[in-house]
Amino acid sequence: MTTLLHRRHTSDQLNELIGTAPAELVALTDDHRRSLTARFRAVPNTEHRRLDAWSVERAGQPSSPFRWSPNTARRSIGNASLRRVDLKPEVSLTEAVHLEIDDLLLRAISQYARAGSLAHWLAGLTQPVLGLVSAEAMNWATQLFEAAQGLANPWRVPACDAYYDVATARTTLRGRRDLIVSRDESRIIIRLRAGAPGKSAGPGLRADMTIDALNHVEGVAPSRFIGLWPEAGVVLSVDGTMVDLRAGARDLVRTAVVQRRSRLAVAA
Amino acid sequence: MTSLLPSSPVNVVDALRGDRYARPLANTTSASGLRAQLEDGIYHVIGKNNPAAPLIVRASSLRQPVRSTDLSLSATGRIRGVLINQLLRLHCVGISIDHAFEEAVEAWRGEVGENDLLERLEQLDDDERARLATDVTAHAVTLMRAFGPLPKRWTPRSTVRATQRLAAGNVILRDVIDLMMGTNNADAAAVVLLDVTTSPLGEGAERTMRYHALVETLRTSIVPLRSSTFSTATGDLWTVDVDHELLTRSCDEVLAVIEELWKNQ
Repeated sequence: MTTLLHRRHTSDQLNELIGTAPAELVALTDDHRRSLTARFRAVPNTEHRRLDAWSVERAGQPSSPFRWSPNTARRSIGNASLRRVDLKPEVSLTEAVHLEIDDLLLRAISQYARAGSLAHWLAGLTQPVLGLVSAEAMNWATQLFEAAQGLANPWRVPACDAYYDVATARTTLRGRRDLIVSRDESRIIIRLRAGAPGKSAGPGLRADMTIDALNHVEGVAPSRFIGLWPEAGVVLSVDGTMVDLRAGARDLVRTAVVQRRSRLAVAA
Repeated sequence: MTSLLPSSPVNVVDALRGDRYARPLANTTSASGLRAQLEDGIYHVIGKNNPAAPLIVRASSLRQPVRSTDLSLSATGRIRGVLINQLLRLHCVGISIDHAFEEAVEAWRGEVGENDLLERLEQLDDDERARLATDVTAHAVTLMRAFGPLPKRWTPRSTVRATQRLAAGNVILRDVIDLMMGTNNADAAAVVLLDVTTSPLGEGAERTMRYHALVETLRTSIVPLRSSTFSTATGDLWTVDVDHELLTRSCDEVLAVIEELWKNQ
């Protein structure tokens, strides 16, 4: 049976979820990886497929194409700002957000940013919209910092999300993660979410957790994957058990199937 | 303690900060009682029935009695409110504002892309647009004069959203706080909530302040230090220290709104 715990978002509850995460570490083996590849290859695709927790939560239904906006930019800038504050505690979060945006702008001006990148988009913005981007990033970073500050265990902001290329299946999986909390030999992942959790929040967390395990060199899964919805004051978590990992992988494959079916329906 | 300031102080931030050594310990025990009070009250109103759609309570539901007309809710009034909110957001992150109207419109367009209200703004003729620009500039001057620079260590957040589901999702409390400062990770209460309105302050503003405090308490399980509202129309700042009595009163007001919504369903 899969797991899904629901708690109110307080420091005590978060620490309890971290403290009570399963001690036994579960790892995905090469056989698991081969099996996943075979299942994805059985769902043919003409163009490269990108799947993440959001596509699982939407049950494979197409969403509007990605475009940069203050809302979509806030996570990248907010997380990078918190990483900066973690390295240099004398820098305030507000300053860190400005420094991060300045760095990105510098990268664009030095022509190190490719077209379509965050830096490239920021470079084309006017001052008021840049201000709005800062405000959104500030909100994001503060929410994450508030959660991190209350943690009893050591934490860090990962430098990037978890990606996994499914060999010979032209499929890339992306698992989002905002905080990695260390507990003995294990790790607990925290992901910050906007709004309130929907009915498919659990499968979304499982998908993120499975991708994180696939991304790990030895296939070791996080002990627990925690989703944080500060706007709703709610925390949901799934455990890093083999049952949950299998469910996560199954949902990802199922999403690929639904996407293919809807593409075929459009083509017909 | 509740204090009502008769005139706007020189600096809103100073008024919100208050005496930092007189702050009470963070109250982490009231939230569950308030939630229970709301759940009991909602059960009393709707019983075991399931409304066709969730009953949604917003700050605006408490701002004015049903069936009264508030001119600030006209399309132009709403556009003015949105634009002043954009300016507040820019001010929070230290952006200097030289041309209030143009910069606010630009920020708004950058945020939402296209929406009905923005379309309405585009449809205004030159005279209406000029009148609105003058109006927004006047409100912006009041806002900027009253707010000094915000201390960076206060981690100012703007347009902070909150949602609380009650009665198994049959009732949803939604809220947007224009400006929030301070941290919940301190031993003493330190979070300050501020609502900025372009209307003169009235009884509805008091209810809104209480509602912000209630939803924030339910969201974080920690009672905020104070809840305030600032009018850019008059330059008035009202501020209340949040205590259990104030939150209980807000519960009663929310339940009255839910009863009204249930009757009108």
